[in-house]
Amino acid sequence: MNDYLIVASAIFCIGALGVLTRKNLIIIFMSLELMFNAANLGFVAVSDYLHLINGDIFVIFVMVVAAAEAAVALGIAIAFFREKGTIDIDKANELKY
Amino acid sequence: MEILFYVFSFIAIFSALMVVTMRNPLTSALYLILCFFAIAGFYIILNMQFLAVMQILVYAGAIMVLVVLVIMLLNLSDIKSFKSNLHQVFIGILISVIMFAEIFFYISKGIQKKPVGIFTHALIKKIGNTQIIGEFLFTKYIFPFEIASILLFVAIIGAYLFAKKKF
Repeated sequence: MNDYLIVASAIFCIGALGVLTRKNLIIIFMSLELMFNAANLGFVAVSDYLHLINGDIFVIFVMVVAAAEAAVALGIAIAFFREKGTIDIDKANELKY
Repeated sequence: MEILFYVFSFIAIFSALMVVTMRNPLTSALYLILCFFAIAGFYIILNMQFLAVMQILVYAGAIMVLVVLVIMLLNLSDIKSFKSNLHQVFIGILISVIMFAEIFFYISKGIQKKPVGIFTHALIKKIGNTQIIGEFLFTKYIFPFEIASILLFVAIIGAYLFAKKKF
């Protein structure tokens, strides 16, 4: 189980790195998906080790939330692009002033 | 199984690194699909074939098609040329490396609990993982299941409202 958790945490940290450093909205969204997948892998590995099934059920719900989040986030990306003509997140500063 | 685990973990971590470092969004989308397939391989090793199929259908089949479609709709030549702040990149790398080190030490120091459930590999193979997941999903977890359908409905309306011309 430890090996799976280490791989999952490595993928999670890479996803966090993507969220922290990139400027592109689409790539930030894809890094979020990467973090979701790392969490799913951790759930499945732990519930396999503990001989439980609850983690596997939870993975299905995480997939549902990820699909809903994908639809809404890409809608936001399209609306933002229509407003600004770019998807650089540094341009999203209208609430600042 | 050991060799398969190392192959899949190498593919997953390599393609995850490529996702966050590539400049072209389309290339990183393709690497993300590769990463999803490697994680589906992990699920097959862990005896959850149903989840592996769901992973490929939902993530690689639905979500990534949506992402690639949006990349196609937006102007790619405009998107490519963002440059990141070097200071921000340095701090981000520092944060994620320290976070990984902390999780690594936490996992390696911890005491492993004994298995508590009854669903061993032999029982899952005997009943079938799809049947077990279906029984749990429609009896014990029926309320979250219904809530998930409402969430998907709200997401459809939200995506439509955001992508509309005028609010």
